[in-house]
Amino acid sequence: MAVTSENRVRPVVKKSIDWWRWAGRAFLTLLMLFTVLPMFWMVLTSLKSQFAAMQYPPQWWPSEPTLHNYFKLLDPSNRVGQEFLRYFWNSFYVSLVTTILGVVIAVPAAYAFSRFRFPARNFLFFSVLVRNMFPAVVFLMPLFLLMRWMGLVNTHGSLILTYLTFGLPLSIWLLKGFYDNIPIQLEQAARIDGATRFQAFILIVMPLSTPGIIATSIFSFIGAWNEYVYAYTFLSRDDQMTLPVGIQRFFTEFATDWPGLMAATFMMSVPVVVLFLVLQKYFVRALTEGAVKH
Amino acid sequence: MAEVVLQNVMKNYGPLYAVNDVSFTVEHGEFVALVGPSGCGKTTTLNLIAGLIPITGGDISIGNRIVNELDPKDRDIAMVFQNYALYPNKTVYKNLAFPLQMRRLPKAEIERKVTAAAAVLDITHLLERKPRQLSGGQQQRVALGRALVRDPAVFLMDEPLSNLDAKLRVQMRSELKRFHHNLDATVIYVTHDQLEAVTMADKMAVMNGGALQQYDTPANVFAEPVNTFVASFVGSPAMSLIPLTAATRGAQTVLTSPEGWELPLSPENARKAQTSSTPNVILGARHSTLKLQPTKVPGSVPGKVYTVEPTGDVTFAQIFISEAVVNISLDPSVQIEPDQEVWVEFDQGKMHLFDAETTMALRAK
Repeated sequence: MAVTSENRVRPVVKKSIDWWRWAGRAFLTLLMLFTVLPMFWMVLTSLKSQFAAMQYPPQWWPSEPTLHNYFKLLDPSNRVGQEFLRYFWNSFYVSLVTTILGVVIAVPAAYAFSRFRFPARNFLFFSVLVRNMFPAVVFLMPLFLLMRWMGLVNTHGSLILTYLTFGLPLSIWLLKGFYDNIPIQLEQAARIDGATRFQAFILIVMPLSTPGIIATSIFSFIGAWNEYVYAYTFLSRDDQMTLPVGIQRFFTEFATDWPGLMAATFMMSVPVVVLFLVLQKYFVRALTEGAVKH
Repeated sequence: MAEVVLQNVMKNYGPLYAVNDVSFTVEHGEFVALVGPSGCGKTTTLNLIAGLIPITGGDISIGNRIVNELDPKDRDIAMVFQNYALYPNKTVYKNLAFPLQMRRLPKAEIERKVTAAAAVLDITHLLERKPRQLSGGQQQRVALGRALVRDPAVFLMDEPLSNLDAKLRVQMRSELKRFHHNLDATVIYVTHDQLEAVTMADKMAVMNGGALQQYDTPANVFAEPVNTFVASFVGSPAMSLIPLTAATRGAQTVLTSPEGWELPLSPENARKAQTSSTPNVILGARHSTLKLQPTKVPGSVPGKVYTVEPTGDVTFAQIFISEAVVNISLDPSVQIEPDQEVWVEFDQGKMHLFDAETTMALRAK
């Protein structure tokens, strides 16, 4: 009974300090500072005036915080704002098209790899991965020549195609993992219940793989959004630049406007952070999918 | 009215035959169990009937219509899966409604049928829940409901009880039997558990290695197994099989063991033994037909007790006879010890003889 257990004398356990646990915490704190401080500094600098940003010794906290840099970037009536918004749109457009095309291609591909038995299935599946065994730079020249041959240099199409070749392998692998975990009996049941194979896929399998589709979308969106080297190589016209390239070119023309640059960088990271925060539960689930039995 | 006919049905993956020349007929309203050890082709056979995998040879017809090329959805069948295969993102109601929606029934009719099916299976209070919020037994009912809501010509069931705990399984077994009785439905039921087959089915199809071994009523399969595989698969504990050699002693035929004892056969059994392709025959006997004797009596052979397993109602003893382990059921009052020397008396009218070469049952000419 509860009464007796309350009355019972608890054995006194001598609490010893778990040094390993504390060492772990200290290490993680350091690691966190290492990642968070630059971002923190980025935000602080973006709130300073040009003069305050260059002061020595540095002002840790902006004495006169200002949103001036942000207003400048978001104001389409001046040149800086005009170009920034242009780059932002370009990046968004390229990343979005890459993501949508990526999902449209990866979903059926992953499903086929998961469900169908066809000749050279394993060979094809692993050859999908070959691209990821080389650093991206290795493909820079071949892809550039290829794009020039196809007349795609200086078009967003060249970037979309390139990002697809980088993003698809991971998307297909991730999604195949998702489809492998959906029992085939669900589709069989749907087909017996009156669905065609395609209806079974659309009505039953697709809704169940939404987390996977969302996760792979984030992966490919972020990959395209952040990419620098290919955008720098394939595009030379100013009005086509994506953000990573545009920010860099734009702010080094005369003297570096550090607060402006930091404000632009911050704005660039906003979509990624928002995407990640909103959809992180799917993201984590995709990475750990299949790790434990449900 | 739907009878299901399989004629020389084949399914091979390259040189591997998962289902090899299987033919049987399921009459309308019959409950047929496909039974056999894992990998025997019973689930493949069911999937072939369902149309989930294409056949490579033969014909399958459902209700006088050859369905070889038809999609599962056009075969007028319903299936209950081992893992129930309930749509996890749909409520119970929507799970039950799905087959009707796919057939574009009017909404009011869907609601009427779902409500009726839910009432029959006593799951009305669960309609708004998701499958993961249900217990195993409840999921089982929903799966059954999804099958019967459409009033199909044939019910296919793939080990529907094997994911339930032992107590629930026995309960659902009788409910399924009652369900079949009430609906007058044609049911094809796959199980690896011969007890389920024997207790529920009108007929059982025993399969092994992709081939149909025997197709008959459980009583006939139990009484007249066609070969040693069926003999040792059906019945619990299984029929005991002892490899021996037939020999003639004057006018009498006897079975001899390597140890030197001889068991004289009745004239009927002697005629059976003579049809064997070689003198090597296998003697089969069910536990209930054997008698334990403390001393030698006519028609008994020597053995040694291996284990004794009291179950309360009855005590099972395993006895070594000529290197084979033989099961005997005893009255619980009988006291025997392991390693005790005993005599086992065979009932000539209930013993089985098999050809050791072909493993087929020997029949008197």
